[in-house]
Amino acid sequence: MRSGHAWHDRHLGYFFVLPATLMLAAVLIFPAFITLKASITPEGGSGWNLTLTHYQKAFRDPVLWQTFKNTVAFVAWSLAGHFVLGLGLALALNQALPGQTFFRLVALIPWTIPDVVAGILFRWVLNPIHGAMNPLIRMILPSFPAEFQWLSSPTLAFPSVIIANVWRGYPLVMVMLLAGLMAIPRELYEAAAVDGAGKLRRFFHITLPGLSTIIIIALALDMVWEFRRFALVVAMTGGGPGTLTEVLSTLVYKTYFQFFTFEYASAMAILMSVVLFILSLPYIILVGRER
Amino acid sequence: MKSTTLSSEQRERRVDAVVSYSLLALCAAFAIFPFVFMLSTSFKSEAEALSLPVRLIPKQFTLQAYSEMWTLKPFALYFWNSMVVSGVTAVLSTVVGALAGYGFSRFQFRGRTSLLAFFLATQMISGVLVIGPYFQILAALDLYNTLTGLIIAYVTICLPFAAWMSKGYFDSIPKELDEAGLVDGASRLQIFFRIICPVAVPGTVSTLLFAFLLAWQDLLWALCLVSIDEKRTVTLAVAFLVGEFVIQWPMLTAASLIGSLPTIVLYLFLQRFYVEGLARGAVKG
Repeated sequence: MRSGHAWHDRHLGYFFVLPATLMLAAVLIFPAFITLKASITPEGGSGWNLTLTHYQKAFRDPVLWQTFKNTVAFVAWSLAGHFVLGLGLALALNQALPGQTFFRLVALIPWTIPDVVAGILFRWVLNPIHGAMNPLIRMILPSFPAEFQWLSSPTLAFPSVIIANVWRGYPLVMVMLLAGLMAIPRELYEAAAVDGAGKLRRFFHITLPGLSTIIIIALALDMVWEFRRFALVVAMTGGGPGTLTEVLSTLVYKTYFQFFTFEYASAMAILMSVVLFILSLPYIILVGRER
Repeated sequence: MKSTTLSSEQRERRVDAVVSYSLLALCAAFAIFPFVFMLSTSFKSEAEALSLPVRLIPKQFTLQAYSEMWTLKPFALYFWNSMVVSGVTAVLSTVVGALAGYGFSRFQFRGRTSLLAFFLATQMISGVLVIGPYFQILAALDLYNTLTGLIIAYVTICLPFAAWMSKGYFDSIPKELDEAGLVDGASRLQIFFRIICPVAVPGTVSTLLFAFLLAWQDLLWALCLVSIDEKRTVTLAVAFLVGEFVIQWPMLTAASLIGSLPTIVLYLFLQRFYVEGLARGAVKG
């Protein structure tokens, strides 16, 4: 029965997959090639008169390097924050305590609002005069400056953006880890308790090994997302003060649409995509392997 | 009568609960505080939002901001734009994505694995890679500043994801259903539309809603492909309000909240599907 259909099936498989593949080729691969071509075309030039000057310029560009470092720090701190908060909350929520549903819903709120809104919200909370943050801190620490300018501060603007992003992103890691925790069989813990294994032992010998795959997947995915983060930064600081909170996606956007250096922006976009591709390999390999 | 081991176990459990509740309360405060402040501002008058000291509970509750946002700015139009763009994107990418998902789930063909990896890899691409050419191409096609242009862009983001999500769902439907159809003499297309699609409705609905959410929340594409007020989406309009010289915070917070309403409701409703979709590889492990 099945072998009779094999030839036919092979072609039908293409039939089902073709529309999506063609659409992706048209709306994604084709434009990506234009970007690649633009990145090796002289400024304002056309045709096949190619050059690598934009890439040379990019590697010597201090703003791009600074932005790259910002992005790495942004991703690293966000991931750390998401993991610590996500794991802590997942462990606490997994105990089936009374009121668990309430806490779970509250903890999910930051995830449910769009990035732009998250940026706006923190911009408002951190507003030096009318925001809630300064009065709140002064309640605990009366010596704190009354009109502290969080988002214009050279030292605290960037950490503020990172905290906003931790706020925005931890629920996703939390729900993934919670799903992982629930999948660990209770009997394992009971057996370990009978054997006299303490809390820490149980955590390190049952919980962590049971969660390891999902932790890696959650962080691999999160890394890609934080690396691309755009709207939160735009709405919160727009990259300022100066370029202190600039990340790669906002810089590429500005280079295209505010500085209008199309070819140079293309080179930056290509470089950013190369890094992004390398960063996404862990997730692609982990999830793709099973197919 | 109680043995000492039992009471020590109880004590341990009590300590656990105390630690858990403190952690939960602390995090809940962190999670909700900015949100509550925003909510409170949206119920204040313009004057009260700018008066000192800052109050968490408005002295005088007013719905002024919620009623004025529709007349001071054409928010009904922005909403309509977002609805059209996100709705069409969702339907288009779900239908095409479901076809691809079924193909990947049920057929073995040459290049299947690489094509699957390609679909997964395209999910990881950042919009900024193609935003420049998009601008040029849409301008050349007279699609700059149109909702159609935005829809094309959003399908780019949603399609790979929709294909993967529906593949996962079709994988969970037993192949015996298809085989029973083949035995009855149905063609592959008939099987897909008559037998598998009806079973796949829950999965399809969640794909549809996620594609909708993805399009609804976007800022990057809207920022680059729309420059006129009439074609702005809600997210774009809200982002522009922040850029204005004098920010009217009650209106901005009210508009942000109303604009977030679909995402808040859908995310809370869909969280379980979402996690399953993302972690399927892991859970199956």
